[in-house]
Amino acid sequence: MPTFNLTISPSQSEFILKPGVTLLQAYNIINNSDTSITLNSEILPWIPSGSDGSVNYNQAINNPNIEFSLANSDLKIGQPFVISANSKQQLVLKIKSNPNTGLSDNYYTFFIFQNQNTTTSKDNFTQAIGKIGSHLLLTVSDTENPKIESKIENFSISPKIKDVFWGPITFNGVVKNNSNFFFKINGKITITKNDKIIKEFELNNNNVLNHHARNITCKDQNCAINPPLWPGHYLVKVSLDPSLNAKSYDTSFYILPISPILFLLLVAGIIFGIKKFNSKPTRSSTTLP
Amino acid sequence: MKLKIFISFIVFLLLSEICHLRSDTSLAQTFVSPGYKIDFGNFNMTGGKKTSTTYTLTDSVGQNAPGQYDNAGYTVKAGFQYIYDKNIPLSFSISDLDLNFGPLVPNIGSTVTNTLTISTPTAHGYDIMAIANHPLKTIGSNSTIPDTKCDSGTCSDSISGIWTSSSTHGFGFNANGNGTSTYFTNQTYFRQFADASINETAKIIMSENIPVENHSSTVTYKINISTIQPAGTYQNSINYIAVPKY
Repeated sequence: MPTFNLTISPSQSEFILKPGVTLLQAYNIINNSDTSITLNSEILPWIPSGSDGSVNYNQAINNPNIEFSLANSDLKIGQPFVISANSKQQLVLKIKSNPNTGLSDNYYTFFIFQNQNTTTSKDNFTQAIGKIGSHLLLTVSDTENPKIESKIENFSISPKIKDVFWGPITFNGVVKNNSNFFFKINGKITITKNDKIIKEFELNNNNVLNHHARNITCKDQNCAINPPLWPGHYLVKVSLDPSLNAKSYDTSFYILPISPILFLLLVAGIIFGIKKFNSKPTRSSTTLP
Repeated sequence: MKLKIFISFIVFLLLSEICHLRSDTSLAQTFVSPGYKIDFGNFNMTGGKKTSTTYTLTDSVGQNAPGQYDNAGYTVKAGFQYIYDKNIPLSFSISDLDLNFGPLVPNIGSTVTNTLTISTPTAHGYDIMAIANHPLKTIGSNSTIPDTKCDSGTCSDSISGIWTSSSTHGFGFNANGNGTSTYFTNQTYFRQFADASINETAKIIMSENIPVENHSSTVTYKINISTIQPAGTYQNSINYIAVPKY
């Protein structure tokens, strides 16, 4: 049974380079299957799609000022090569930016894909083909720390008013990048009540690409707090690292003792009902002489 | 009693001195140039990842307390050990590349399956996209089995729908497992493959927003032909594209 089983390492590379600079990035391609495989390589530009880290290859435009080639002496991009069963091949990608490359970000994927076999089957047949990619995030800048502008947007708490029990409170929002260069989210959500920190969420270091937004996610957990919670007014502060030049975002939510009050009302009602039932005058029958 | 206290005090002093002397002879290293002085707290001799068929060993020889230590305000990354828990590369496998449907019988659905498996611990999740080179097509005469529109007649390459009726014809697929619930409600839901021959773009069929290891889903390919389907051998290819979330 023919299979496809490839590993590519690293799965993503991020560089800041000056115009006119040439970089080398080595990729290890591992064929984990028990048969040899004929592969090929290509580089495709992409643009971000949605706000969860997906990409779109169809509307992306190739930057002619950035050139890619393989530094391997026996291989070019687009040239088929074979990796034996359970073996590894290193490909060294050369990235060259021309001196007149504009100062901005460029996003690419270095793809390794299976060469399509010629089908010899005489049956009704579908052939599956595998393709695996490693992203390249290239910032072309003349400084090591390009200026970043960001903003916390669409931050929401659900629900804003909640019972002390039943169901979590979730936090959602996006970080918008208003600059020409990508950055990593570095920040936290702090929940306080009466100036005491109740919970602090560290945000995942997701990349936010230029002039794009990325959903906020929390490290190792959902951005949510679970009941029971004491009744009161809770303050929520979303803050990003000062280097990201974003204003912190402040909001709040309320916890009310709805279910305990309902429970007490129910108990009071039952007691009241029982008392009323017991206090009804009983008719005593009297026998006339 | 006083003698005991005196002896204890002397022993304490001796131990303190020994510790002091030992700290003066710790295995540190210093590099000096006219402009810089670099003090190393220990000798890092070797480090890396060693594997055999049964074991994987990562080591940092010489490093005191290797690993990553985080606290508010700082992170210490000692040795190389901290790298290995996060630097697992992107892996993608397809269990069976040759999907043979055999002879097709009108109004009786024919299915085959394979499994997609992915690991992406380094990044922030993954997308697996799929696209067909063209609909199932005969080699010589260019007759095609149309892509399914499901029982409701509305499913497409981006909308799935229930396909259980034997009178609904076409070719479609379902994916069931990790990362597929956004695209297929359950195993009765099918959709079409995107078609490269009419410039459609590859569509995501499996996706997660967290690092994963060996997450898999079973893809079921289904053909149901009508009685008027021209005879022939129908074939196409499906390209599965696995990329990490950036």
